[in-house]
This record gives sequence, C-alpha cells and structure tokens, in this order.
Amino acid sequence: MTLLSVQDLKLEYDGRTILDGVSFDLAQGELKVIMGPSGSGKSTLLRCLNRLTMPNGGRVVFEGRDVLGPDVDERALRQRIGFVFQNFALYRHLTALQNVTLALRHLRRMPAAEADERALRQLARMDMQAHAHKYPAQLSGGQKQRVAIARALAMDPAVLFFDEPTSALDPLMSREVVNILHQLRDERVSMLCVTHDLYLARAAGGRVMFLDQGRIHAEGEVDELFGPNADPRIRAFFHQELQQAQAAQPISPAQPISPAQPMDGAQPVDPSGPAGSPER
Amino acid sequence: MSFLQILLQLTGGVGYTIMVTVACSLTGVVVGLGVAMLSRLGASWLSAVLGAFTFIFRAVPVLVLLFIVFFGLPNAGLRVPPLVAMMLSLGVIAGAYLAEVFRGAFDSVDASEVLAAEAMGLSRFQILRLIEIPQMLRFAVPGMINEFTTVLKYSPFAYTVGIPDVMKEAMSLSATTLRGVEIYLAVGIIYFLIYKLLVTGVWALEKRTRIPGLTG
Repeated sequence: MTLLSVQDLKLEYDGRTILDGVSFDLAQGELKVIMGPSGSGKSTLLRCLNRLTMPNGGRVVFEGRDVLGPDVDERALRQRIGFVFQNFALYRHLTALQNVTLALRHLRRMPAAEADERALRQLARMDMQAHAHKYPAQLSGGQKQRVAIARALAMDPAVLFFDEPTSALDPLMSREVVNILHQLRDERVSMLCVTHDLYLARAAGGRVMFLDQGRIHAEGEVDELFGPNADPRIRAFFHQELQQAQAAQPISPAQPISPAQPMDGAQPVDPSGPAGSPER
Repeated sequence: MSFLQILLQLTGGVGYTIMVTVACSLTGVVVGLGVAMLSRLGASWLSAVLGAFTFIFRAVPVLVLLFIVFFGLPNAGLRVPPLVAMMLSLGVIAGAYLAEVFRGAFDSVDASEVLAAEAMGLSRFQILRLIEIPQMLRFAVPGMINEFTTVLKYSPFAYTVGIPDVMKEAMSLSATTLRGVEIYLAVGIIYFLIYKLLVTGVWALEKRTRIPGLTG
C-alpha cells in the first residue's frame, strides 16, 4: 500500500530551480534512500513533504490525503511525520527524557507519568534508557541521534524522515545509525532517508533514488545505480564520494563494491561483510 | 552622631530604594520581554515600530521622562503616583534596553531547534514558550544583571518625586547635621551593599537553573 506519493514536485527559489519535477512513491513499511550531491535539493525535498517549505507545483499525497492543499491542518500533518535531523536538533535545555516527552505532553496532552513511561520505552528501544536524565551536551553524537530518533518515534508517526542522519557522525557512530535503520525496518517502520553518505545508502539496504539538480535520475538497488551502465553524472558522484570515503576511512581494494545484503533481524552490520565497512 | 548611627538612620530609606529598583526592573523585564517577543513573532512593520520605540527610549534621559510623566501628565488631567511615575520612566527605559538584551539572547537560540519543533507540529507560540524563552532567559542573565544594576543606580531620582528613599533620607540628614561627607559616604556603602545583594541573588538563581552545556 502506498503511504506517500510524490508527483511532479517543483520548487523555485530566488529564480533558481531547486526541485524540477520530482516523483516517487513510498510504500507502507518501506525504506527508501534519496542520494545526491550537496545542493541537489535532497533536504529541501523532505521539507516540502511536511510543508516546512511550500513547493510551487506538484502533488504530495500522504495517507490518502493531499498535503499541499489550502485546508490542510499543517500541525496535525507534522505530528504524523517523525523528522530526524543531521545535527540532531535536540532541545539543549531539556534532558533526553524531556526531549522525548515534550510533544507527548504538549501535543497529546498526556499526563506526565504516562508520557514519561512511554518516552522511557522509546529510549529503551534505542538503548538509551540509562542516559534518560542527561542533557544533550552530556551525550555523544551517536547518543544524541538515538535520542532524536526516540523523540521522533514517541509520537507514533506513520513515517520517519531522516535528513542526512550520519553526516555529523564519525564512521563508528554512523554504523549505530545503520543498525537502528535495520532495526526499524524489521519493525516495518516506513522511512525516507536523505543522504550523500555512500556507506549509509549501501548499508541501509533500501531502494536508492539518485537526485541531482532537482531531478531524480535513477532509482534502483545501489549496485545497478552505480554500475557500468549508469548515468555519467551518477558515476562521477559515486567516484567522488568513494574517494572521499577512502581518504577518510580506507576501504580495502579487495572488497568489491556490491549492494548491501538484505538484512534479516536486527543484526549489526558485519564489519567484514560486503557492505564495505571501514576497517579500524 | 557616630558613623554607625548615620548608617542606621539611612536604612529607613533602604526599603524604598529596593522597592523602586525591583518595581522598575520588573517593569523593564515585562516591557523588554513584550517588545522582544512581539518583534520576533510579529510582522515586519511591527518590528520597525518596536525598533523605533527602543531607539527613542534608549535616547531619552531618565530624569526628563520622569518629569514629563510626573509633572507633565497632570496637566493633561492624569495624576500619576510617584512609584508609577518611576515605573513609567525608569522602568520603560530599562525595558527598551532589556528588549535589546533579549533580542540578542533570542538570536542565540539554535535555529535548528526551532525548525525541529516546527517539524514536530508545535505551534509558534508553543515553540516560543517551551523552547525559545527558557533558553533565552538563561542567555540573557549577564545583560539583565547589567540593566538591573543601572536601574539601581538611577533609583535616587525617586527622591525628586517625593519617594523617601536612601537619597532622600541622606539629604534631610545632611541638611540638619551638616555632615555631608560622612553621610554620602554612608549612602555609597549602602548602595554597594544593595548592589552586592542584587547580583548575588540573580547569580544564585542562575546557578539553580543552570543547564550543563547550555551557558558557559
């Protein structure tokens, strides 16, 4: 069943075309990755889907309802979409627990005890219950991102949006995020993940769309996408990313570039596996 | 009359000095918060009007505004009690300065947190109340202490409209005893002690509400 359908989405800003007719579908329980270079319009695309940015044209249908119409309850829509940001965007004056309970208390009007209990369950799901009473400044990057994911999950959203979830993390912490993506995928959480991180795109194991200059140029498994018959633009991006990745975290040349294996269960990414994880 | 006796005599006015300082500081916080919040939320024309307000009121001397309010308004048929006149002059001018302090502190709130709160579905007002103001007030503590101190040091103007504060007591005492040097030295000591109390109090409050990693 289609959860989210995007048709011919267009956005112009300051005379510049940001999105130039983007179309795709996200099915219930599906994980899709949108890849592309910086400035390709990836993050903007996500923001158009929950009306943080209003596009100039096209259609977005979410849970069977038109998102871009004039009578849409914006705040109700946003409560159905969990958003995870690249810089975590945790509220710095609140503890991890309070970050998760905020929406429950003030949007769901849940009593404090009930909200706490529910938030602690979400933190436990992210293995963060031991840090519930710490402030964001007292957590590592990976821990912050896990709290941010728990915060997004607490409202029982229909879909999770990830906006560059690993770009502020080191490789080890990126792997934590990948593990969480697998865990959530196994729990049939619908997810849309925007990234330029090749490792994340491959390890996530979902279908990948390649976005460049506001258009989706290809969609498929990572391997088909970046294979010998790929669009030159995609190959150029791929090689550039790979070089950067190798500079940052040497990948053994013996390891072929192959698609991530479909994951069964919430097993961690095998560092020696075909996903090309960094050696350390 | 010993120095100690002079000090004791003057303490009769301390209550009024503190009352004027606290009343004007609170007026300043309310006005400053109102202005800073409205210009953060409101339309651009409103921000322009509020910008003009802060610009003008930071330029007007306290004593001039006080006299306009206390001696001028009765001509227009509006009698203003002395303490209210202080609040409408010194308090509002402090508000204009605090509006600038709060504006800067609001700008220190991370824009990504506001975006995350919007994406979560919170209303603009909820974001202000739950995310921005709690952080902003903590960022604003040094600027607020500065402004409260300024208010304390302008509070002697209260004697010009008949409030029997420390300064008023000192002038009466000086007129009857002709020991001006010791009396005004004692006044200086009293103001220093009130200042110390004020600063210690605000920092104690700041320390109790401090959040690790939020402020330096």
